[in-house]
Amino acid sequence: MIVLDGVAQVFDGRSGPVEALAGIDLEVGENEFVAVIGRSGCGKSTLLRLIAGLLPPTRGRVVVDGTPVTKPRRDVSFMFQRPALLPWRSVLSNVMLPIEIFGLEREQYRDRAHELLALVGLRGFEKRLPHELSGGMQQRVSLCRSLIHAPAVMLMDEPFSALDALTREELSEELQRIQLEQARTVVLVTHSVEEAAMLADRVVVLSPRPGRIRKIVDVTIERPRALGRPDVDEVGRELRDLLTTPVGEAL
Amino acid sequence: MSETARRTRGSGILLPILGLLAIIGVWWLVTIIFSIQKFLVPSPADVVASFLELPGYLLEQSVVTLAETLEGFALSIVVGVPLALLIVGSRILERTFYPLLLAVNAVPKIAIAPILVVWFGFGQWPKVVLVVLVCVFPIVISTASGMKSTPHELVELLRSLDSSRRQEFFKLRFFHALPQIFVGLKVAISLAVIGAVIAEFVGADAGLGFVIVQSGASADTSLAFAAMSLLAIISITLFYGLAYLERKVLPWAEEHR
Repeated sequence: MIVLDGVAQVFDGRSGPVEALAGIDLEVGENEFVAVIGRSGCGKSTLLRLIAGLLPPTRGRVVVDGTPVTKPRRDVSFMFQRPALLPWRSVLSNVMLPIEIFGLEREQYRDRAHELLALVGLRGFEKRLPHELSGGMQQRVSLCRSLIHAPAVMLMDEPFSALDALTREELSEELQRIQLEQARTVVLVTHSVEEAAMLADRVVVLSPRPGRIRKIVDVTIERPRALGRPDVDEVGRELRDLLTTPVGEAL
Repeated sequence: MSETARRTRGSGILLPILGLLAIIGVWWLVTIIFSIQKFLVPSPADVVASFLELPGYLLEQSVVTLAETLEGFALSIVVGVPLALLIVGSRILERTFYPLLLAVNAVPKIAIAPILVVWFGFGQWPKVVLVVLVCVFPIVISTASGMKSTPHELVELLRSLDSSRRQEFFKLRFFHALPQIFVGLKVAISLAVIGAVIAEFVGADAGLGFVIVQSGASADTSLAFAAMSLLAIISITLFYGLAYLERKVLPWAEEHR
């Protein structure tokens, strides 16, 4: 579904060019859930923006569903670290935003919007304004918005990192449930090894400066998974070790 | 509504009235204690008496000034908001017209007023045009800066949906700018009244500015004060009217207040 072929990204920094990503080769299969982890500054958000078509790669090729990515695609949705809700729009109308932007028939998606909101426990909040909701509720609305047009690919940029620990866990579980009900291709960028171990089929571990793929870890634990289960924790520990030991040293 | 909210709202009306009464009281006392002559500083009672002599006439003149103010203000919005859209939309237009706008704003409006009379005669038009000249600047500036300050994450969200520039403007930037636009409107409405009066000073046969000029010629200071009081009332009413409208139209901006 997604192919990254020799992708490199160089930004113009104040003191010369900064290499954010170098030689990334990665394939993500259809309906596969891939998590990307790495320490801050390893270019994981950049990687996601390249796939989304928000940023053209300096070198290499990004291909989604057989076509090279040159601009954002409608079948790829992007979920941000912060809810990014339009404050003047009600919850329902925020969820419907992609439908409006795409110029699709609103009536056909209204029921789906209600269903999605119910799925994340926001039934009855449709008419509220974003500032009346808690951070976790806002991020749930954002999740519904990124699912409303049933995208084939969902890109998530540390979507739960601004939330408190308990809400994070709840949302991870909701995401797992949604994925089990209707699988789609997901690339989740996170700095939480537990989140990666719980949700992903494969975890891409990036090493920083410049961002390179250090290792790809397969997670074969059957679903549904839960945080705190020994096998999930075991994978989490393995990922943590990969992140904390410098490249070149044996584990 | 909570108890505290009710109390704040109550004092929100009561305190300004108390302040006004206190100032009027001091003013009255000063005129009595120093027995100031009526044509220098009239007492509040003189001003009220002056109004009651010609209530119909003064209200008529108020309506003239109010109409000029509102027409000019409305025209400023019609001109100013699209102008701001153009400035934000195009770097080239911004570079071309921004300095010009600054220059127009820098010219003292009182200097333009006589020329406007030459161009538009003595009717309401030179007044309306002057009001526009005074109002347009704050409206353009506030609208443009409001649209430019749209949070990056929201802009990126729309980009990720492959929105058109038009959609980015009218579904995002414009709405995001609304609270700032209202700031500009509130500045502009106060200036609008001043603009109308300045234009009336220069050449008019009606309006409160005209009344003030006339009363100066006959040393009827009480009448001038009555006209000024009416101007103040118009100005304050328009300002709070806008503030009320803002609260009704932008309930989502509540958090910023």
